[in-house]
Amino acid sequence: MLLFACSSHAEQCDPVTDVNRIAVAGGSITEIIYLLGYEDRLVGVDSTSNYPVAATHLPSVGYVRNLSVEGLLSLQPTLILGEDDMGPPTVLEQLKHAGVDTRRIPERHDAQGILAKIECVASLLNVPQDETEARLQEFRTVAEKLKNAHVSHPSSEVNVALLLSLDSGAPIAAGDNTSGGGFLRIVGATNVFAELDGWKPVSPEFMTAANPDVIVIPTRGANAIGGIEGAVSHPSLRATQAILNDRIVVLDGMAMLGFGPRTLQTALDFAIQMRRDGFLESPE
Amino acid sequence: MDTQARAKRLINPWRIEKNGSQLLAASLQRRRRTAILFLSIAVFSIFAIALTTGAVAISLTNVLGNSPTSDFERLVFSDIRGPRVVLAAFVGGSLALAGASLQGLFRNPLADPGLIGVSSGAALGAIAMIVLGSALNLPDWLEPYSLPLAAASGGILVTLFICFFAQRFGQFNIVTILLLGIAVNATAGVGIGFFQYVSTDPELRTLTFWMMGSFGRSTWESVLPAVALMATASVFMVRQNQTLDRLQLGEAEASHVGVDVPSLKRRTILMSATAAGAGVAVAGTIGFVGLVVPHLVRLIGGAAHSFVLPAAVLLGASLMVLADLISRTIVVPAELPVGLVTSAIGAPFFLWLISRSTLR
Repeated sequence: MLLFACSSHAEQCDPVTDVNRIAVAGGSITEIIYLLGYEDRLVGVDSTSNYPVAATHLPSVGYVRNLSVEGLLSLQPTLILGEDDMGPPTVLEQLKHAGVDTRRIPERHDAQGILAKIECVASLLNVPQDETEARLQEFRTVAEKLKNAHVSHPSSEVNVALLLSLDSGAPIAAGDNTSGGGFLRIVGATNVFAELDGWKPVSPEFMTAANPDVIVIPTRGANAIGGIEGAVSHPSLRATQAILNDRIVVLDGMAMLGFGPRTLQTALDFAIQMRRDGFLESPE
Repeated sequence: MDTQARAKRLINPWRIEKNGSQLLAASLQRRRRTAILFLSIAVFSIFAIALTTGAVAISLTNVLGNSPTSDFERLVFSDIRGPRVVLAAFVGGSLALAGASLQGLFRNPLADPGLIGVSSGAALGAIAMIVLGSALNLPDWLEPYSLPLAAASGGILVTLFICFFAQRFGQFNIVTILLLGIAVNATAGVGIGFFQYVSTDPELRTLTFWMMGSFGRSTWESVLPAVALMATASVFMVRQNQTLDRLQLGEAEASHVGVDVPSLKRRTILMSATAAGAGVAVAGTIGFVGLVVPHLVRLIGGAAHSFVLPAAVLLGASLMVLADLISRTIVVPAELPVGLVTSAIGAPFFLWLISRSTLR
């Protein structure tokens, strides 16, 4: 299954000849590089690479979708690794033209997708097979636990809303085909806004009608409205079950939505927290 | 007083009225010649500095010579930095020229390509392409041109729309065109908002950066067609300097001295739309250059269009190349959107201009 997922993108994951100077565009990939112990090869990372903190001290190549050709080339990278959405396309074209090996790591918003991403980066960095396997095993264990947490407590009864930001009027909610939607699926919760496609602003009435049992907000979104108190008094959320029962969860945005090494553990912790705090009604 | 003298007086009011002597007029002439000379030198030096400065250190001897690093440096110099510096110069020059022509045409110091809706029309075209492009299944060879083509069509459609309606409403009235511009801007705003709403998350982020303007996507293939368009339109605009001068008397007076006013309006609007539309198409929306540069130029050498138009081209080009240089060197190895730089410089300057003219 894993092999199949990878083989469709075999080209992108083929071993690279020179991995001495790596520039990365994408927070989850930076995390994977650190995970595999290749951080001393990093010459630059993008602005979404905020974990681990050491990565933020590296030269910044800008935003993942708005890279600069000359800036990247000035770091003299032998390899440029990017998230699925790195860009703009002209810049990638010019990098190819300049002869720098540029790889776009495929992204899928599920547990297998995370494993495939790690395996892909490991494979193109020529990490020995057994070492990769050992790493992946840890993640498979977490994925397995998540599945069990899901099976023993069918949390499909729990309706969760994942809101990106609350400060600009209508909250921006994760619909289908988003990293947020994928995260809720990994957790095993039901996304109350699954019928929306993409990240969408949600009106107060729609929010009240959807009536989520739990609301998840990334740290940055929560800080922008003054923490949990801000969320509690938010006009859109006031009437929801989640606020009435005080079930707001603030999670690190990149850990939750980056689909890197931290996402599975974050999902598991969230699932455990929901059970511990009685968010889930046991099915008896 | 004959019309010629009146025209001169309107164009250079303070110079001639102070003491109608020929001496001051001559000194103004000298001053304009010096300014043009100085601006030309400025364009070339800034151009040279921009070509040799950037994130990648390049030595010209390596570029021309045959050392081991030559190929890499030559590539950066000619294929990456070259097109963007050339494009910045042309976009800056034609935006400033379009602004100067429109200000002359509307006899309104606030006119610029944004005012009559060209910029937002072009932006709408580009944004529609960003959001709908993937559904169109364009052939591969057309892909790199799709965004500029969509933006240029947007700009030109808006212009044709304005010309069509202005004529339907009876005459090519300046007020009508300004009001139509407001309506077009509002409509384009609705369209842009709509596309932002239906766009996916990656599309939205692409769109946000596109709206801030950048020369970072320049390749010769995308730059050359745009440069050809901007250069052609610019030549036409600069050649209208005398008719624009006569128009400053007022429309009726201008037609008495032989200016075909409706045709002047049509040509100026069409040409500035082409120039600005082509610029927006390849570089995104870049504010304030079209508005502020003509004012600066008039501060230097008065309002005669034979001076203002060419000087605006030179100053616009210098400032834009400089702004791009700042945008790509200030946060190396990343870069700032150039629209941010021009607005950061332009907005305070514009405030200064306003306070200066109201206090006087």
